[in-house]
Amino acid sequence: MKKILGITGLLVAVFVFTAALEPNFLTAYNLQNTLRWTALFGIISIGAAFVIITGGIDLSTGSVVGLIGVLLPMLLVGQGWSIPLALAAVVVVSLILGLLHGVLVTKVNLQPFVVTLCGLLFYRGIARWITGDATQGFGTAFEGFRQLAIGRIPLTDSFGVPMPFVVLVVLAVLAGLFLNYTVWGRYMMALGHNEEAARFSGINTDRMVILAYVIGTVTAGIGGVLFALDVNSVQPAVHGNFYELYAIAAAVLGGCSLRGGEGSILGVVIGAAVLRVLYNAINILGIPTQLEFAIIGAVILLGVMADELVKRFVVARSAAREVV
Amino acid sequence: MRLFKHEILLIILIAGTLTLGGCGQKQDGAADRPTVGFVTNGIASFWVIADKGANDAAEEFDVNVEVMMPSDGPAGQRRLVQDLLARGVDGIAISPSDPKNQGGLLDEIAANADLITHDSDAPESSRLVYVGMDNYEAGRMCGRLLKKAMPDGGSVVLFIGLLGQLNADLRRQGVIDELLDRSHDSSRRDPVDQVIEGDKYTILDTRVDQFDFARAKGQAEDALARYPDLDAMIGLFVYNPPQILEAVREAGKLDQITIVGFDEDDDTLQAIKDGTVVGTVVQNPYRYGYESVRVLAALARGDRSVLPESKFIDIPAREITAENVDAFWAELKQLVGE
Repeated sequence: MKKILGITGLLVAVFVFTAALEPNFLTAYNLQNTLRWTALFGIISIGAAFVIITGGIDLSTGSVVGLIGVLLPMLLVGQGWSIPLALAAVVVVSLILGLLHGVLVTKVNLQPFVVTLCGLLFYRGIARWITGDATQGFGTAFEGFRQLAIGRIPLTDSFGVPMPFVVLVVLAVLAGLFLNYTVWGRYMMALGHNEEAARFSGINTDRMVILAYVIGTVTAGIGGVLFALDVNSVQPAVHGNFYELYAIAAAVLGGCSLRGGEGSILGVVIGAAVLRVLYNAINILGIPTQLEFAIIGAVILLGVMADELVKRFVVARSAAREVV
Repeated sequence: MRLFKHEILLIILIAGTLTLGGCGQKQDGAADRPTVGFVTNGIASFWVIADKGANDAAEEFDVNVEVMMPSDGPAGQRRLVQDLLARGVDGIAISPSDPKNQGGLLDEIAANADLITHDSDAPESSRLVYVGMDNYEAGRMCGRLLKKAMPDGGSVVLFIGLLGQLNADLRRQGVIDELLDRSHDSSRRDPVDQVIEGDKYTILDTRVDQFDFARAKGQAEDALARYPDLDAMIGLFVYNPPQILEAVREAGKLDQITIVGFDEDDDTLQAIKDGTVVGTVVQNPYRYGYESVRVLAALARGDRSVLPESKFIDIPAREITAENVDAFWAELKQLVGE
């Protein structure tokens, strides 16, 4: 809990700051939008977190979002498949990709960075090749299905919870329970901390690592479906570009250590929220788009530094107490 | 080591899949035919139509054409152009992403092959001709569409994929100048981060999304949140109008916001039919591809009569509104072979 205190503080600070400067930030409409974007990025960040917790890294997330994003409309509109069938197909595809990553990392002993970097390149190329670079979309025929991404559960007249946020909450609760209360989840933490020790204590570490990569690509696949449904027009060459970095950033901001063995799902979700609120704040406050990355980079850096200083202060104070 | 055999198998399998993808490509034609390059500034359905035009012209004028679409802007253009030059192409038609700073690259082309520009011009380079439309005029056309739909004036936010590229800058400036009833001067540049106020129309902001569709939608939503009384939104790149439309529809503000588009995305055309988008200004990418290759083919054979005095082959933009959308859409579908 202590670990996510800093990031929660940063979220609150950005939130209050923006709301104070621009009251329109707090309109139901804007909050709904920010929640929706947080959910979309939060979902792929959860997958990234699992891989990072086992001490790996998944750079293919953005390309999986892109590949699934073009496959879904191709299957539904181009091939005329039914919605359940197309959904099943894209989930199976993302599952196989994760399996492939996991096997290459554990059985062939390749570095996760290399395996998933090649994935990043390969899936992007495939997505562009099968579509001939043509933009894919659902047209107007799938308005019902698209509610999964753009729909809302109305709470008051003006405010409703966006559907992707419901998906995020379900996934986050499942992921949190899995990580903290199941044997497999504890195994993952343990092997991320010290893989050899975990293996010698009888954990089938390979199986756990493969599972983490599968979770990584399946959440990227789910994210890919929702992103595609949300924007409704998927450009194969750019859709999802750099999303792996947002996912990794959210995971690390939320308390995952890139060395593995540490992380909390709630922290990851809050990390994703910080990024989206920052993006939203920049547009809402009318800051020129050119400054976007500079501001996001600076705010995150300042936040992480403040967090580190507070931690050191706490450690120093408790050490001082022990001496006394 | 027990796994060694399987590793090799796996690697062979992957390598096999990779090379398979490379097979079945079209074969190069006879070696004595001139080869010309057609370089775009990105990857978009717009360029797929230009590709069709370029290939049709290649067949008609008996040349090989290589259509190159960079995924990473000026850096990609440099790489692709140098590859083309290394292969000894006779001419290159390029839509320079950043003409001011690509002088070196354009000179390099001009020194080794015939250089022409299409879609976006580089007037200071030694290009032989520019094939395209006048983006400033097209921007003004876009402004006129809004004026017609919203004669009493109001507040406007502009959305664009990129600034700094000549055609994008000109397009934006054209819209602004038309809305403010200024004189025709395509060298004027209004700053991006200031509110531009005219007698009737106020341009509140220009948001730039770097070709990220999701961000384009997010920015449209953020504009709706920031300016609750906004009157109009103009999307200046092909994917902007559909994303604006999504955002406005989800906000339930279709009645309040006047939307004007650019280019011919299917969603934009459908929205014009439905009456939710006022109109759009379309270019003719097929002609860009076709005319570029026609000119380059003639130049490769030493025929310089294809170069007009003005160094400008005008492919004018057109206004598409509810009146002519059906005819235009049918024509478009025929071009892309649907």
